Parts: sequence; structure tokens; C-alpha cells
Amino acid sequence: MSNGAAIRIERLCKRFGEHVVLDDVSFDIPRGRTTVILGPSGTGKSVLLKHIVGLIEPESGHVWVGDVDMAHASERQKQAVRRRFGMLFQDGALFDSLTAGENVAFPLKFHTNLDEDGRRARATAALARVELPDAYDRPTASLSGGQRKRVGLARAIVLEPEVILFDEPNSGLDPLTSDTIDALIVRMKAELGITFVVITHDIVSAVRIADVIGMLHGGHLVAFGSVDAVLRSREDIVRRFFARNITLPDPT
Amino acid sequence: MTASFFDFIAAVAVALLTRRPPLLASLEESYRIGVKSLPILLVISTFAGTNLAVQGHDAFAPLGGQHLVGMFVALAGVREMAPLLVAAMVAAKAGTEMASQIAVMRIRQQIDALEVMAIDPHWLLVVPRLLGIVLVLPALTMISIFVFLAAAWAVAVAQLGLNGHAFLALATDVTEPKDLLACAIKALCFGVVICVASCFHGFSSRPGPDGVGRATNAAVVTSAVLCAAVNYVLSELLYG
Amino acid sequence: MEPLIALGRFGLFSAAVWWRIVTPRWEVQETLRQTWGVSIRCLLPVAATVFPFGMVMSLQGLQIFDLFGAQRLLSSLVSVAVFRELSPVMATALVAAQGGSSFAAELGAMRIKEEIDATTVMAIDPIRVHVVPRVIAALVATPVLGLIGSASGIAGGYVTAVWLKGEPAGTWWANLWALTQLSDVLGGAVKCLVFGAIIGFVSCYNGYNASGGAAGVGRAVNDTVVTATTSAVVANYFLTTVLFGSVG
Repeated sequence: MSNGAAIRIERLCKRFGEHVVLDDVSFDIPRGRTTVILGPSGTGKSVLLKHIVGLIEPESGHVWVGDVDMAHASERQKQAVRRRFGMLFQDGALFDSLTAGENVAFPLKFHTNLDEDGRRARATAALARVELPDAYDRPTASLSGGQRKRVGLARAIVLEPEVILFDEPNSGLDPLTSDTIDALIVRMKAELGITFVVITHDIVSAVRIADVIGMLHGGHLVAFGSVDAVLRSREDIVRRFFARNITLPDPT
Repeated sequence: MTASFFDFIAAVAVALLTRRPPLLASLEESYRIGVKSLPILLVISTFAGTNLAVQGHDAFAPLGGQHLVGMFVALAGVREMAPLLVAAMVAAKAGTEMASQIAVMRIRQQIDALEVMAIDPHWLLVVPRLLGIVLVLPALTMISIFVFLAAAWAVAVAQLGLNGHAFLALATDVTEPKDLLACAIKALCFGVVICVASCFHGFSSRPGPDGVGRATNAAVVTSAVLCAAVNYVLSELLYG
Repeated sequence: MEPLIALGRFGLFSAAVWWRIVTPRWEVQETLRQTWGVSIRCLLPVAATVFPFGMVMSLQGLQIFDLFGAQRLLSSLVSVAVFRELSPVMATALVAAQGGSSFAAELGAMRIKEEIDATTVMAIDPIRVHVVPRVIAALVATPVLGLIGSASGIAGGYVTAVWLKGEPAGTWWANLWALTQLSDVLGGAVKCLVFGAIIGFVSCYNGYNASGGAAGVGRAVNDTVVTATTSAVVANYFLTTVLFGSVG
């Protein structure tokens, strides 16, 4: 794990019943860069992400985070690794019973010794970073889709993680909101300088935010490399996927 | 809330009275309700019967009336317990299912789609469930009474050491055919209450998984509270 | 085979919850919040349901006692029946219907909306923070609600006997505790405690393991009400035998 990889996926296989979701997938997620895993819906992107945080156990293979194999670690070891992760879930996964700010402060209650005022200050600061400085007392139900994701992102960064994982940050958003979320991700990356892992099916956003792109299709990793390299890939499925998505916004 | 509840009842009544009822769908519903509910009903009736026998024995033994257990069990079982057991089980099983099925259709906009297609959703979704419940509940109630008494008899003989013949003699002495009829009427009323309350909450479900959960939740609570109140009124009318 | 596997899963889940109940750290504030919430939510349904049952008990009891000329024993009968049977069973049915099903609905929605996964990823034990407070809430709230239900049921019996049927109020109050003993009240509370545990574990198990979108949440609620009520009725017979069944 010395060659700059934050996470190493090794020969990962996962089936649900008869359905093979991941078939012998291996790649390294470089430290301090933004890696985007791209692919059409239903290709196991979310499943891959859940393996990284140890929510799912694979049939075979390894997910190395430092010295810990998330595929076979004990619950205690996984907890220790997760302390260094932040994750933005697809719909934010905010607790509806809490306010926006209480959601952000939630992990602080368990992982820091801050008192209530201290937690409030930290959470407000995190909310300010996602451009919602006054949202602490807003009920979760009153947030728009884009705001939910921002609050989810604030919760992901509040413990100053080493890796942030994004599950479809643009899904369910209109194109304009989607753009602002992309811009936010790019800015956060510049400010924090930590490892980002993003899964998405949105190719425009992928090209905009990625340093490295991997493409999943039918359970296989069909392309992996820098944005340029993947864009110039000769792989048929990659060309088709990019062609369809790239030409759409340009109807001349 | 109450206003929309009465609107709902009115809409169901109109659908029931003005159009030919979907008979085949109603039969299917009653088959489904009956078959799905039967195993639980058997379990609940068995243990309610055994429980009542033990309680009756404990209550009457100090008064020197051990042999009265059969009478007590038969009276309580036929008049009150059997229809209530059927109601509880139908509310818990069929009622919650109606509420959650209809709520899911509501949040997936299928009910709106029906309206747009000029198909009355009350006629399509509520009327068959209502007729289905009405058709099957008397049968379930009779089964419940039989199982209830058989279980109570078994406990009386095996666990409490009572005379089985005396038990049966007293049990059949105090009950008359009209008790069975009254019992079936009670169960019918509970069925209507449960079906209307459950379907109403399904129809008024709010969006999202929470909405479905809450509709199902509200359905069973409303059913229970309404049935308890209706039960008193019916007991007063039938036996008071 | 399928039911056995499910039973095994339920056992493992319950063991995991028990382990967290007996070891720190405890979510005291959340537990109090859940207990208060479920008590308040169930208060009215429980009182409103047991009340008419007390009324029916009076109504039917009067008819039987008329045969023997023992009307004066009516209040004793109502109070024994309410404390031992009616209130525990009805309170449980209503706590299952209102409290248990809302636990299943909340946890089910949290599971579907990935809030439980989010908790795990934040390196926080979801069973400790989301499940244990609800299980304890059900354990504590059910006996309290059972006692409140008993009071309501006796009030219902009083209304029928004294107000509607014209029995003398003095006789009612004088005989209320004639047959009822502390052991009946405690026995009823023990029943409620056991039923509360059933509701807590069953509802949280169903909600925590919900899958399949909004329909899955509906299914979890449905299963909770059916399983909790049925298990409580089955357990009730054994509890009655152990607590009150003076055999032989």
C-alpha cells in the first residue's frame, strides 16, 4: 500500500443469487485525487461503494484500506477505518427527526468530546463550507433535494475524514443544481486535498470533477485511467456510452 | 380529516350502490382474506380459549363453581371473544395489508392514473375488499368459535382436571342458535369498520416510505379503537 | 426451512440487542425521548379501547350475576378481569398497533432511505442508537399503559353499571377490591412487561431488516402487528397459567 493508493480493490467478486454484480474487479484508488467510477444504472457501482465501507461482504477478493481488508475485517476494525471516511448518500440519508444542523452534529456526539455548544459551532462551520451557513435549525423535511445533499456533505466532512465517498451526487437533481453540486465538489477537493471517490452515471459531471475515471459495465471494469485516456479508449462499450452522453447537450 | 373520511364513505357507498359490483374480484378477495388469515386465526383462537379456561377456573374455583367453567367459556367465547378475535386478526392481517397496498398505489400515482382513465378507484379497489370481507367473516367466526371451545375443553380436561361431559353440557346449555347469529352480525360489522378505516388511510397516504408506514399504522389503530366502541354498542343492542 | 432460518435471524438480532442493553454506552436521552413519545402516542388509543371493554364486561357480567342474584360482585369481577386480562391484552394489542408499528415504520423508512447504512458508515453502532432506545421504550411504556388502561376499563365498567344500569355506586366502590389482590395487579404488569418485550423486539427486527422500497415498509408494519399480537396471545396463556393458574 505504499505506492500512493488510498484504497486497493483486489479481484472483487459479488453475486446476488444468480446475478453476478461484480466479476473480478481490481484497481487502485490513488491518494489525494478524485476517482470517479462511471457506468450505466444497475452495473454494481453502489455495490462497489458499499464494499469499500464494509457494508457488504464479497464472495471473494479484498478491499484494502491501509492494512485493513474491509472484506474480511472484524466489526471493530471496520469501525476504526470508517472513522477516517465520510460518505454522502444518494438522497442524503439525513435523519428526519433531527434538524439539518443536528444531522451534521450527530457524528460529533459519538466521536468527539465536544459539548453541545462546541458541536453546534463545528456543525455550523461545516454547513458554511457547503454554503448553508444559516441552516442549522432548519427541519430536514423543509430542505430541497440539492440542500439535502449539501447537508449530507457537511455531515461527511465534519469529522475531517481522509476519504470522502459520494454515491450518485447528481441523481435526482435538475441540471442547474447538479452543476452547483459539481462546482462544490471541485472546490471542496481543492480546499481539503483529500481522497474523493465518486460513483455516478452522469458523464458530464464525471469529466468535470474527475482526476481518474474507471468505468464499470456488466460487472467488469472496462476502462480505468486518466480522464483523457478513458475518453480516447478504443473499447466499444466505453465509446458508445460516452458518445451518447457527450453529444446530447450539443444539438447543432 | 373527519370531513374527508365522510367523503370517502360517501364515495364508497355511491360506488357500491350505483354500479354492478365486481363479483369475481370480490370472491378472490374473500378467498385471499380467508386463506391468509386462517392460520393465525387458528393459533389465536386456540390460545385465547385455553387462556380463558384457566382464568375461568381460577375465578370460579373459590366460589365452589368449578363446573361453571364450561358455561363461562361458552358465554364469553361466543358472545364476545370469537368476533373480537376475528376482528383483531383481520385488522392486523388483512386491514394492514389493504392500507399498505392502497398507500403504495397512491404514492406511485396509480390511483391518480385510474381517475384520469375515468375508472372509479373506490369501485375498483374498495368495493371488492368490502364485499370480500363481508362474505368471508361469518365463516371465519364459526371456525374461531369451534377452535376456541375445543381448545378450552382440552385444557379444562387435561390441565385443570375438570369433567369433560359436564363442561360440554353446560357450554351447550347456555348458547343458542341466535347467539351464533348475533356473533356473525358482530363480526360482519367489525369487517366493514376495518375495511373502510384501512382503505381510507391507504387512500390518504402521504408520499414516501414513511407515508406508507404511517398509513398502515393509522389503519390498525383506527380499526381497533372503532371496533372496541362498536362492540359495546352491538353488545348492548344484541344482549343488553 | 425458511421459518426456522427467520427464527434464527430473529434470535441473533435479539441477542445483539440484549448485549447492547447490558453494556455501555447507553443513549439515555434518546431512550427517554422514545419512551415518552410512545407513551403519549399510545395513551389515547389504549384508554379509548379498554374503556368500552370495561363497559361490555359490566354489561355481560350483570346478566350472569342476575341469574345468581350476586350483582354486588360485579365490580370485583370487572376489576379482576380488567387487571388480569383485558387491560394487559388490549393495551398490548394497541401498543403493538400504534407504538410497535410506528417503530417498524420508522426503522423501515430509515433502512430504505439508507439512514441506517449512513449511521454504520459514520462508525456509529446503529443498533445501539436506533434500536435499543425503542426496545427499552416498549418495555417501559407497556406496563405503564397497562395500568392506565386498567383505570380506564374500571371507569368504563362503572359507567355501564352505575350510570346506565342503575346499580348502586356505593356497592360498586365497596366491592371493587373484594377479590382483587396485589398479585393480580402485579401479574398484569408482568404480562405487560413480557408483551412489551415481544413488541419491542419484533417491531425493531422487522423495521431494521426491511427491504424493497415503500412496499417493504408497509410489509414490515404488517408483519409486526400480526406477529406481535399473535405471540402475545400465545404467551398470555402460558403467563396466565404460571401467574394465576392454581391447578389442582
